Amino acid sequence: MTGKNMIALQDISVQFKQRNESIQAVQHVDLTIAKGDIYGIIGYSGAGKSTLVRVINLLQKPSSGKVIFGTQDLGQLDAAGLRKARRKIGMIFQHFNLMKSRTVLGNVEYPLLGLKITKEARQQKALKLLELVGLKEYAAAYPKQLSGGQKQRVAIARALANDPEVLISDEATSALDPKTTKSILALLRQVNQKLGITIVLITHEMQVISSICHNVAVMDAGKIIERGPVTKIFARPQQKLTADFVETATNVKEALTRILKQNSVSERKLLIYLKFIGNTAQESIISSISRDFNLDINILFANIDQIDGVNIGYLIADFIGARSVILTVTEKLKAAGIAVKILDNAEGQVQL
Amino acid sequence: MANLIPNVLQMKAEFVQAIWETLYMTFAAAIVAAILGLLLGVALVVTQAGGILEDRLLYSLFDKVTNLLRSIPFIILLAVISPLTLFLVGTTVGTTASLVPLVIGIFPFYARQVQNALLDVDQGVIEAAQAMGSSPTEIIFRVYLREGLPDIIRVSTLTIISLIGLTTMAGAIGAGGLGDVAISIGYARFENDVTFAAMIIILIFVFTFQLIGDRLAKVFEH
Ligand SMILES: Nc1ncnc2c1ncn2[C@@H]1O[C@H](COP(=O)(O)OP(=O)(O)OP(=O)(O)O)[C@@H](O)[C@H]1O
Ligand SMILES: [Mg+2]
Repeated sequence: MTGKNMIALQDISVQFKQRNESIQAVQHVDLTIAKGDIYGIIGYSGAGKSTLVRVINLLQKPSSGKVIFGTQDLGQLDAAGLRKARRKIGMIFQHFNLMKSRTVLGNVEYPLLGLKITKEARQQKALKLLELVGLKEYAAAYPKQLSGGQKQRVAIARALANDPEVLISDEATSALDPKTTKSILALLRQVNQKLGITIVLITHEMQVISSICHNVAVMDAGKIIERGPVTKIFARPQQKLTADFVETATNVKEALTRILKQNSVSERKLLIYLKFIGNTAQESIISSISRDFNLDINILFANIDQIDGVNIGYLIADFIGARSVILTVTEKLKAAGIAVKILDNAEGQVQL
Repeated sequence: MANLIPNVLQMKAEFVQAIWETLYMTFAAAIVAAILGLLLGVALVVTQAGGILEDRLLYSLFDKVTNLLRSIPFIILLAVISPLTLFLVGTTVGTTASLVPLVIGIFPFYARQVQNALLDVDQGVIEAAQAMGSSPTEIIFRVYLREGLPDIIRVSTLTIISLIGLTTMAGAIGAGGLGDVAISIGYARFENDVTFAAMIIILIFVFTFQLIGDRLAKVFEH
């Protein structure tokens, strides 16, 4: 990351008027995305994610606010100027949006049709892009003959045809199976690293965020409620919704449900959730604490994820011993930089 | 043969002429109506709510004109339109004169059909084209008309068949054609074989157009 801003959305609001109702799809959103970043936007359906990213290339005109792309204020451009700017912002979609009347090659050539280059040069460029996405041998096929993953690869090749500076991906993997999703995400990472293209990626799956994004914004009801480096968001989510997304992605939620079903309540026992960030050696901390304080620690769930190059460990365990001792221990763990949460199941109410 | 169709055999020349008149009316009116219908159909699609050149006022104008013209029964249109016909063609009777009401009668129908065909083009593809920086003209020619081509061919077939139907009424203003043969000779003189023969020829036209249309639509469907 060079630190230079690629996109700056300033106080963007979008409202839709429907008969006598008006929907505030996006409310006073500020968002800056650095050049070279892979920026994720996550939120549940209807949060306003698509509306927000469609503002970036002004497919959606904001009701108020400014869109700065590089150094250009897109709102100030005339129609022709805006079209020129749009060529520098590639976009891929959940349903691929390929033209069924054109071949794979024809689809990738499409964005180049208006340019003053020879047909050969155009085809050459399209073929090169198809090679990049691994579909050169399908050049003459029609979209109908391709699988979903292949269609998305063609769409990526098409989006790259104008040498964009930014690639917007609106749920590009939502219609794909997990394995295909992985390969498409790998391709996007490659596009980011090899071509230096800034990526803005919308999803409702935290796994997608954790596997390729550096930064993330969480959207809810038209607002960004939390944002920051992915590692930080995974380690210490501040909002309930964010925590929800994180714990679902890391299987912690599922594990906890299972654990709570089987766990018995006892005076001498506390269910505790620990989160280790970075390369803290979780094994040795647990065993040394257990030894030093003469505590029984019964591990019920443990998992470790690598997020944006940083290890994050999750552990749910029963700490068995005197309550005062357990609380001393938790303070010690916190001091060591470990996130600790007591999941007090005695009250039957457990919240992550 | 002579017993089955006694009158038809004596009227070969009239039949040949009527066939030419019908084909002339159909093709000449179809060409003009195709241009007007495509223009209006595209205009309806791009100006309607959410279209690439959304314009409520223009849309409601186009929409109302289309509906109005479609509501006039053709046989009445033939008479009502005569001042315009006189102005454009110089006469209000004859085969060429019938082209004016035929075009006016069929192009709003075609425009609606084209509108529906183009509305079936995936909105996502239009959005993708906009995101790639295509201009409205580029989107019309490179996306709408191209992606919608198989459907446009289908509705064109349907329209041509309807148009053949209208030409049979044009006999009322002296345009001739197979319809006129069937009514003013076959029906008026009780020569049933003439009516029947006219009908068979028209059916052959209809099936031929249908066949060509279906084949053509398939070719462009990938
Ligand atoms: N063109 C429109 N007209 C009216 N309302 C709209 C329009 N587009 C979106 N909305 C509304 O704006 C809100 C945000 O929609 P948006 O599509 O941005 O959500 P999203 O976060 O992308 O959801 P999803 O995950 O389902 O794609 C929703 O309430 C939606 O119904
Ligand atoms: Mg969406």
